[in-house]
Amino acid sequence: MTVTEDRPSYKWVGTRPIRHDGYDKVVGKARFAADLNLPGQLHAAILRSPHGHARILSIDTSTAEAMPGVKAVVTAADFPALDVGNPEHDVAMNLMARDVVLYVGHALAAVAASTRAEAQAAAAAIEVEYELLPVVLSLDESMADGAPLVNDDNRTAFSGSDEPSNLATVTPLERGDVDGAFEAADLIVEREFDTAWVHQGYIEPHACVVDVGADGKADIWASSQGHFRVRSQTAAVLGWDTARVKVTPAEIGGGFGGKTTIYLEPVAARLSEKSGRPVKITMSRDEVLRATGPAPASKARIRIAATNDGELTAIDGWIGYAVGCTNDMAGFIGAMSVASYRFPNLKLEAVAALTNTPKSAAYRAPSAPQAAFAIESVIDEIAQLLEMDPIDLRLKNAVVEGDPTAMGSPHPRIGFVECLEAIRDSDHYRSPVPEGTARGVGSGFWFNIGEQSSATVNLNEDGTATVITGSPDIGGSRASMALMAAEELGIDVYRITPVVADTESVGFTDVTEGSRATFATGMAVVNACRELIDQLKTRAATILGVEADAVDWVDGAAVAEDKDPLPLADITAKAKSTGGPLTVTASLNAGGAGPSFAVHCCDVAVDEETGQVTVLRYTTAQDAGTAIHPSYVEGQMQGGTAQGIGWALNEEYVYDDDGTMLNASFLDYRVPVASDLPMIETIIVEVPNPAHPYGVRGVGETGIVPPMATIANAVSRATGARLTSLPMSPPKVLAVLDDR
Amino acid sequence: MPRAHLMTPHRRFTGGEGVIEVDGATVGAMIAELDRRFPGLGEMLTKGASAAVDGLIHAEPEYLAVDPDADVYFVAPLTGG
Repeated sequence: MTVTEDRPSYKWVGTRPIRHDGYDKVVGKARFAADLNLPGQLHAAILRSPHGHARILSIDTSTAEAMPGVKAVVTAADFPALDVGNPEHDVAMNLMARDVVLYVGHALAAVAASTRAEAQAAAAAIEVEYELLPVVLSLDESMADGAPLVNDDNRTAFSGSDEPSNLATVTPLERGDVDGAFEAADLIVEREFDTAWVHQGYIEPHACVVDVGADGKADIWASSQGHFRVRSQTAAVLGWDTARVKVTPAEIGGGFGGKTTIYLEPVAARLSEKSGRPVKITMSRDEVLRATGPAPASKARIRIAATNDGELTAIDGWIGYAVGCTNDMAGFIGAMSVASYRFPNLKLEAVAALTNTPKSAAYRAPSAPQAAFAIESVIDEIAQLLEMDPIDLRLKNAVVEGDPTAMGSPHPRIGFVECLEAIRDSDHYRSPVPEGTARGVGSGFWFNIGEQSSATVNLNEDGTATVITGSPDIGGSRASMALMAAEELGIDVYRITPVVADTESVGFTDVTEGSRATFATGMAVVNACRELIDQLKTRAATILGVEADAVDWVDGAAVAEDKDPLPLADITAKAKSTGGPLTVTASLNAGGAGPSFAVHCCDVAVDEETGQVTVLRYTTAQDAGTAIHPSYVEGQMQGGTAQGIGWALNEEYVYDDDGTMLNASFLDYRVPVASDLPMIETIIVEVPNPAHPYGVRGVGETGIVPPMATIANAVSRATGARLTSLPMSPPKVLAVLDDR
Repeated sequence: MPRAHLMTPHRRFTGGEGVIEVDGATVGAMIAELDRRFPGLGEMLTKGASAAVDGLIHAEPEYLAVDPDADVYFVAPLTGG
């Protein structure tokens, strides 16, 4: 179901063709990084720290080097020591510990051998002497007076201080008269919240194959959200020129923000360089959970003031993010995510603090879900206390174009009100709440970003086209690029082949994050097509014997007065005689990414004997701007929701006192499976982004922001007690039920 | 003259002032002038901010032209997943 506002009609945009890469993925022919094998290839294993924090006194690799099949061993000594100020310092430190290990799972050494078993055996034979250091595992411990330093290299960003600190960022935001607003309030609700570390849970573990040739150049095949970033980070960590590294993007089996950085490639490259053989590294699930970035755990205190008629007059809050072992901007970004309501008076502080846990990473809309869980829960409680419909309360306070974000800048045209109205008018919300269940509502928001993209469009001699981009296809972007090109050129979408090219075959393209690929890379495709059409019109004018400005481009053909239309294929067939190949490359740094809002609604049942929460019905409405391929927009909405349900009900890292994760497998770290979920109903709202030629906003991130609050609000209404701690696992729900 | 709108973390350099008129034909020129008047602010605006001009957020906007009556909002350097 789609709700469309002010949107032109298109021939191809908004249709649902089978994705160009679909057949290969369905029959198993698509090649992911772990599928690739090269002649003479070695397999690598990584030795990881068993301690949460320790000084490395010595590493003895001599026994490992003499073991059967072993061809190369590396430690931090095989990599240049980057200055603390180097932008990739933390990436390098995380790839291979130097002097100190900062979390259980931190890489210490790697071995390349003829078989994986030989590599694993040799890695286990490496002898390491440690001096144990205090382990810091929580926000409270990290921020306590006199807390041990997690990472001596950390400085609080933008503080002006050069003193080591556990604080990564401290971000205050203020406007208006908060104290006065609370004094004048009719109603004040204040709550404290906490959320656990959660992993993105992508199905495909990190993997790469690297072959360093005799010329010293590295060929890398890797799964990532941005192979140009793999190239730049790998080169930086190795101390190489970028031109020594070529990265070919493998298909990606899920990323969700977790594959925007590297963990393996420089290690494989150095092993390949030392051994003279290609080297493959594939993480196990245990390694993925212990050594790659989860989303930060958080704590929050939120206080909101309201009038009796439901006007939200002030918010006063603090939110802290535990970001793992290195500096992270989670707190800085999290502070910005309070942007859905006008709040004339606002005082927030967001803090990010270090812990002896893996370096955290983005998870769809980074830092926003934790903040939204807290704020949307308090707003729901206000609606309950005022006996207002929760959507009416939100409509009364929702931001519209021109209202300030938390950063102060005015919102551009946005579709929050339209999303609220879409849920309010949905079959789900208009249906009675079933007996024995309760209903919750929540909302969320993400800015989205633009950044740099390139696209090359080649017209072939028979009138088909190749669209080449540098954005890995993590959510159906090949189909979206082909649809926009088909709309521009006026040819069938299946006469277009979308290609994701390696770093030497397409212009620089930033990593696929911030829901930017269809927005920014799509804009590059559109620009390239429009320049091609100008060329086609000029070629057509030559063929038709008219002036170039007498030619229009209509539905895939050149049209001139008193001439028969000249289809694209008739022009490309004469390319050689009219000036040569028809090809255009467009590059840009896209500004004007359009914020996307979502509103969710769910019905839950709570088993009062076991504490189990079952989600019975779930509907999501989200502003896509324009849905280029609605099926993949719906897929993003459903995927974000499914992951959010896991975040809400089941998922959490469980650590022992030494920082060892106790549930590092999908048996014990329980993500939702199909049988846990209802069919997630979707309503695509289309309020076009005026800064994009087709109105695209980007849809990949917002979907994970509302689910935790939406479910918590439903569970709280079902139980009569406010749930403030994630996950709402059966023991926690039972404890809340017992305390009623 | 263009107006620079600063987020709360930037205002420790300006004595709490949130909106400052500052001459400059580009965002970069505005940042340079702000740094001259408020030493240290330039680095934070360069490394720790994007800019919203005419409602559009731009990353690394150093050479982005601004009109004489423009409102330039320095906002967080947004990323994503």
